[in-house]
Amino acid sequence: MLKAIGSGLRKKLSSTLYNLGFFYNVLKETARFFSRSQVGYKVLIMQILFTGYEAMLICTIMAVSIGAAIIVIASNLLPQFGQGQLMYSILIVIITRELGPLLTAFVITARSGTAIATQLATMVVAHEIEAYIAVGLNPISYLVVPRFIGVVVSMMVLTIYFNMFGLLGSFLVVQLVKPIAISEYLGGLFSILSPGDVLSGLLKAFVFGIIVSVVSTAQGFAVNRASTEVPVAGIKAVGQSFIFLLLSDVIITLVQYA
Amino acid sequence: MKFKIRYSDQIVGLFIIVAFVSFAVLIIMLGAKQRWFAKDYKYVTSFQSAAGIGPGSNIMLKGFVIGKIDKLSLNKNNTVDAQFHIYDSFYSKVRTYSILELTVSPIGLGTQLLFHPGSGDELLEEGAFIPLADSEEGQTLVELGLVEIPLKDDTITRLLSNINPVMENISRTVVTLNRTLTEVNRVIAGQSTGPLGSIVVDASTAVAALPDTMEHVKGLVSDVRENAMQLLEETTGLISEFKSIAGNLNETTESMRDPKGLVTKLLDPKGSIKKFLDDDEALYRKVNSMIGELEKSSKSLQSIISSLNSEMPKVASLLNETKTAIAKAQDVLEGIKNNPLIRGGIPERMDLEPLRSSMREGSFE
Repeated sequence: MLKAIGSGLRKKLSSTLYNLGFFYNVLKETARFFSRSQVGYKVLIMQILFTGYEAMLICTIMAVSIGAAIIVIASNLLPQFGQGQLMYSILIVIITRELGPLLTAFVITARSGTAIATQLATMVVAHEIEAYIAVGLNPISYLVVPRFIGVVVSMMVLTIYFNMFGLLGSFLVVQLVKPIAISEYLGGLFSILSPGDVLSGLLKAFVFGIIVSVVSTAQGFAVNRASTEVPVAGIKAVGQSFIFLLLSDVIITLVQYA
Repeated sequence: MKFKIRYSDQIVGLFIIVAFVSFAVLIIMLGAKQRWFAKDYKYVTSFQSAAGIGPGSNIMLKGFVIGKIDKLSLNKNNTVDAQFHIYDSFYSKVRTYSILELTVSPIGLGTQLLFHPGSGDELLEEGAFIPLADSEEGQTLVELGLVEIPLKDDTITRLLSNINPVMENISRTVVTLNRTLTEVNRVIAGQSTGPLGSIVVDASTAVAALPDTMEHVKGLVSDVRENAMQLLEETTGLISEFKSIAGNLNETTESMRDPKGLVTKLLDPKGSIKKFLDDDEALYRKVNSMIGELEKSSKSLQSIISSLNSEMPKVASLLNETKTAIAKAQDVLEGIKNNPLIRGGIPERMDLEPLRSSMREGSFE
C-alpha cells in the first residue's frame, strides 16, 4: 500500500511537472507566434470562428435572459425595501463581475474545450503528431498556440458581448414587461458601473481562457494509443477545466474584495 | 466552400472589431457620465467627526449632486480635515460665504452633505476653506443672512431644523445652569470669591449678627415702652384733671340755665353776686390766680405733648428699622429654606407656652 501511495504521488508529481513544462512551452511559443511566418494564422482564425463567433448566440441568449430576469426581479422586489437603486449594483456584479466571465467560460469549455481535447487526442491516436514532428513542425507552436490564443481572445470578446447584451440587451426585453425610461436606466447604470467592474470581468475572462485552452490541449496530448482514450480526454478536459475555473474565480474575487 | 469558412477572416475581424468598438463606446459613455475628463474644483473643509461620510460621499445642492468628498484625515486637534471637489458645471454656485451642512436622517436613512451657496458676488478660489454650518464661522454667516439656506425637503427634517435652535438654547441653558450650580456648590463650600460668594458671606454674617440685632431691638422696644408708659400715666392724670374741670363747667352751665338758679341770683342786685363782687377785688384776684394756675397747667401739658412729639420720629425710625430687620431675616430664612443644597436644614422652632397659661389652668375641652 505504501508502495502504491508512493507510486501514485510520484506519478502525480511527474504529471504536474509535465503540465507545468507544457504550459511553459505554450507561453514561450505564444511569445514567438506573432514574429514567425504565420503558418498557424489560419488555425487561429478558425479557432476564433468556432470558439468565439459560433458561441456568440448561446452567450447572447444567456446574457439577455439573465439580465432581464435580474432587472424584473430587482425592480419589483427592491423598491419594497426602499433600495431600488441597488438593482444596478446587483446587475453589474452578476453580469460584469461574476456570471458573465464564468458562464462564458462554461460555454467555451463545453463547446470548444471538449472539441480541442478530442481533436488533439484523435490526432495523437492517429499518429498525426508524430507526422508533424517528422516534417519539422512543432506541434505546440502549430497546434496548441493558435488554439490557446484563439480561446483566450474568444473568451475576452465573448465576455465583452456578454456584458453588452446582459446590461443593455436585457433592457429591451424588460420594456415588454416593465417599461423603464432609457435615460433613467442608463443614468443609473453608468453612475454605478466602474472601470474596475469591467476590468475585473476581462481579467477573469483572460485567466479562464488560459485555463480552458491549456487544460484542453494538455488533456488532448495526454492520450497514448487507444481510441477509447479520446472521449476520456474530453471528459477530463471538461471536469478539470470546471474545477480550475471555479478555483481561479474564487481566488480572483477574494483578491479583489480582500 | 461554406460561407463561414470562406469569409472566416472577415467574420472574425468583424467579430473582434465590433466587440472592441462597443467596449470603447461603453468606456467613453462611462467616462462622460462619471466625468473622467471634466475639471473639478477642489476645496477643503473640517468636520468634528467623519461618522456617516467617507471618500466618494456626494455633496448635494437642492437634490443635485454637485461634488464629492475626496479625502478625509484626522488632524492633531482631533478634527477631521476633508478635501472635496465641486463639478465645473456647478462652480458658479461656489460663491463667498458658502457653507456645508451635514444632516443626519431622523429615520436612519444615512447622512447627507448639503451645500448652501453664499450670497457673495465673488466666486471662491480653488483650495479655499468652506466652513460647516455648525461651526462658529458657519453660524455667524447664517445669522448674518449671508447664506442661502432653502427649506428642508421633508416634514420631519423641517421640524427638526426648527427644533434644533430650541434644543441648542436648551443645551446652552443647561450648560449655564450646570455652571451656576457648580458655582453655588463652590460658594457653599466657601471656595468662591465672586459676587455670589460675597453675597452669601454677607448673608451669613447678617444671620450671625441677627441675634445681637434682635437683642438691641428688644432693648430699644423696652425703653420705648417705658417712656410711653410714663407719658400715658401723665396723660391719664391730665385727662382726669380736665375731666373734673369739665364737670365743674358743666355744673356751672346747668346753673346758668336755671331761671331761679345761680345766675339770676348772681345778677340780683340784692343777690349774693353783688355782695360777692363787692369784695374789694378779692374775687378778681382769686380768679386771676386760678387762671394763672390754669396757664401753668396748660404749659406743662404743652411741654409734655412737645416731648411726646419729639419722641415720635425716633419711635417711627425704630419701628422702620425693626421692620427692615425682620424682612431681611425673613428673606434669609426663606432662602435657606428653599436651598436644597444645605443638608440638614434648620431645626424647627419650638414655641414655649407662657407659665401663666399652663395646661392645668385651662379648661379640658
